[in-house]
Amino acid sequence: MTEEIGINQLKRRDFLRAGLVFGAGATGLAAGYACVPDAFARAVYAAKVNGVVNDRVLVMIQLAGGNDGLRTVVPLQDPKLHDLRPKLAAMSVSQALPIDDRLGLNQNLKGLKSLWDQGKVAIVEGVGYPNPSFSHFESIRVWETGDPTRRQVDGWLGRTLAQSYDSFGHPLTGCACGTTDVPGALRDLQATLTVIDNQRSFGFTGGSEVEAAVGALYRGTPGVYGALFDTAMATAGESIAALRTSAASYQPMAAYSDQARLVYSSKNQLAAALQLAAELIVTGTGVKLLHVTLGGFDTHYTELSRHDDLMAYLDTAVSAFYQDLAAHGAADRVMIATWSEFGRRPRENASGGTDHGAAAPLILVGDPLRGGVYGQAPELTDLDTTGNLRFQVDFRSVYQEILGGHLGAEPKEILGGTFEKLGFVKTPALTY
Amino acid sequence: MSIAGQIDQPSAEPARSAESARSRLAVNRRTVLGAAAAGGVGIGALRVLVYPELRRLLDGTRSLVGGRGDWASPLASEKARVAHLLRRTTFGATLEDLEQAASDGFTRTVDRLLETRPEAPPAPAGAGDPRLSMAQLQLWWVDHMLSTSTPFVERMTLFWHGHFTSDYRKVGLQTPFIYWQNLTWREMALTDLRSMLMRVTTDPAMLRYLDLGTSTGQSPNENYSRELMELFSLGVGHFGEDDVRAAAKALAGWVEPRPDRTADVVVDPVNHVTRSFPVWDRPTTGTFMPRRAYAGGPLGFLGRTDTYDAQKVIDRILAQPAAAAFIARKVVQHFVSAQVDGSYVTRLADRFRSSRYDMRTLMREVLTSPEFVADQSYRALVKSPIEFMVHTLKALRAPALSRLVVQSAPALGQVLFDPPDVGGWPNNDAWISSNSVVARVNFVTAVLGQARSLPPASEAPGHLDTVLGPTSVNLLNATADDRSRWLLALASPEFQLK
Repeated sequence: MTEEIGINQLKRRDFLRAGLVFGAGATGLAAGYACVPDAFARAVYAAKVNGVVNDRVLVMIQLAGGNDGLRTVVPLQDPKLHDLRPKLAAMSVSQALPIDDRLGLNQNLKGLKSLWDQGKVAIVEGVGYPNPSFSHFESIRVWETGDPTRRQVDGWLGRTLAQSYDSFGHPLTGCACGTTDVPGALRDLQATLTVIDNQRSFGFTGGSEVEAAVGALYRGTPGVYGALFDTAMATAGESIAALRTSAASYQPMAAYSDQARLVYSSKNQLAAALQLAAELIVTGTGVKLLHVTLGGFDTHYTELSRHDDLMAYLDTAVSAFYQDLAAHGAADRVMIATWSEFGRRPRENASGGTDHGAAAPLILVGDPLRGGVYGQAPELTDLDTTGNLRFQVDFRSVYQEILGGHLGAEPKEILGGTFEKLGFVKTPALTY
Repeated sequence: MSIAGQIDQPSAEPARSAESARSRLAVNRRTVLGAAAAGGVGIGALRVLVYPELRRLLDGTRSLVGGRGDWASPLASEKARVAHLLRRTTFGATLEDLEQAASDGFTRTVDRLLETRPEAPPAPAGAGDPRLSMAQLQLWWVDHMLSTSTPFVERMTLFWHGHFTSDYRKVGLQTPFIYWQNLTWREMALTDLRSMLMRVTTDPAMLRYLDLGTSTGQSPNENYSRELMELFSLGVGHFGEDDVRAAAKALAGWVEPRPDRTADVVVDPVNHVTRSFPVWDRPTTGTFMPRRAYAGGPLGFLGRTDTYDAQKVIDRILAQPAAAAFIARKVVQHFVSAQVDGSYVTRLADRFRSSRYDMRTLMREVLTSPEFVADQSYRALVKSPIEFMVHTLKALRAPALSRLVVQSAPALGQVLFDPPDVGGWPNNDAWISSNSVVARVNFVTAVLGQARSLPPASEAPGHLDTVLGPTSVNLLNATADDRSRWLLALASPEFQLK
């Protein structure tokens, strides 16, 4: 097997030597290769009046699978927790890192605890939505679209991109890192979006000739997928060029490490994804909305060790990310917000795990935040008919504050309504 | 070994290829002008080589969508219908396969796909070791996709792998369970939904993947119960939380099968470390342990109170009309069109249910339906990464490069035995992103860089029904050498569609 050639080892030179030469026509076409949105979409943008002009950035971290809120922000004094969770509660409580008399952070959230002590962490308790779905996919869709009635098809961040930013020609305005497909939260046909799985492999291995030729190939593509194909290819071309510039001027100022074997899931490259996010932010690519995902939270079995590992992994990656941003002088404009489709059932199951739940706390991190605990914790003694926690804060309240308070994007139109105010942003960009 | 030494080969018979392309193509000046105008390119840049269906595309009477126009469907011709059928039911056909199927005709080809006994794959390499090697297992399956004489069964096996899905990360490689599951979906690919649901419930990999193997009647784990209804049979909205809890109790009691014996394997030859691994003499299903089952009497489930066990849970699920429609809809999205028509699904579901959920009946109904060959269905589906990569190797007659499929799979977003989550893989537009278009081009680049010889590029349009968009035509015509033409053809949007 020593003769095996990995795909990444194939150099452009070798490919050219193999005789790949495109005709004059290809080069001619490539000259005008740029992101050309559909006339329809362009008209929509032209009609926009309330564009956002500031340097603030949002990073959403999805904890996929349903994160156990009761093991993330632990109630320290509630005897009911031990009744419901004979196996899971004792360790969580005794080892938690207290943030006040009532609550403690999971013992592996050491970096976040230190950021909490500096007033840079906001916790919103009891976040959920009415008539919760216990299906991963349905609940993810509710959170992604920001619509518990399941009518909206575009993502809430996608709508923000379309409404408040000029993403055409600036493909890195919205970017999903560490994934191969478009996260639902960023989906909107009237916005362009970059998806970068891995920075090292994001580029044309065939070199600029291939890049130019395929760039030219994906233009005016017929059929229902035509616009999608053409936009994806044009976005790729522009993002690759932008990344080439940014990579040259970026030096990480923190140690990022991916311990992907630590936790079970195919999607765990959070640290690498956040490092790419930091690069995009500090090198001035114009990035505004970023989305990354950490999977493995569907802890139906042996939750104790698996969830602790996930917490440690999240903590290390977010701490490095914050440290890197701070060292580059960018921490004051970046908000990091976690989300998960649901919390988990207060009562543990026979497999040493927990089943799908409802309300849970959300953790937000960053200099723009006013550190503290917001919202209200659901009562463990007052579970709903499915044995789950009753939500106290509509998740759209959190979105509203992120949009209006942090980004300065008009929240009412994006969310289709007005929600309870929380006040976790230090200096709100808009009054809404 | 020098890389250039391997790839710096002239492509086979370039002179003949250009000649044959020219002789097959009817060229007239109006067509060339038309292509130039549509592509926005000066006429001087074009060579006199135009693929024949171009005219059809440009003169097409289909209404324009968003200024881009639609593909000109060639499905009025039986030859094109047969090619369409093979594109969707196999992992791509060679030109010889296409010729053979065209001479058999559409109906006989459908019969052959549905009725031929599936070819069993050979044993994977390293079969003597009780542990699995994931890279070897992935390569084994891709090689079989490339070489099998019954590719429809492989296509269905991939469909079921995404439906009744499990991933090796949770199931592990210390047992053969994930490999058995693959054998199971191949054997059962065209059987009936009732048997499949019972089988998936007691499948050892699934017992582990969705935790039924550790659930008990006293303290049930809901994971499998919920996904059995939500993802495997009914879909969201056709059951309630009470049903999830009831079925979780009724299904409890199944555990992973006990091994027949153990085998000692040297895991660290340097330090002479040996470990013992479980061995089963043949694939088997889980075991039912009555003392772990629910003993609380009758349960209310999907509107009926009864004393339920796994089989009764499944029968109760299949008594719901939603089950047939759920499976029919998913089949339509994978084999016909992303835009699913409700009355079409109802019609298919009625036949499916009255056939006692026979998959062969459902697939025959789908493949012979007018909707399958309707113009709106032409290029209405996006090839999944695995389909795209295997088809590329088929078109280039380069099965020896199968390892590139395994190596490239993560970048393209579809790793066999490792779906993103319990919902399996997404499909169609979800496969198109700035990341995946680059990864697909890079795969073609890698294959062309490593292929020792190439078929003449004049074969390429045959893999695209000779229906190409004006941009693709312009570029192909403006490109002189075969390797570059193959790159354009295989990286084209046309080839990403099926």
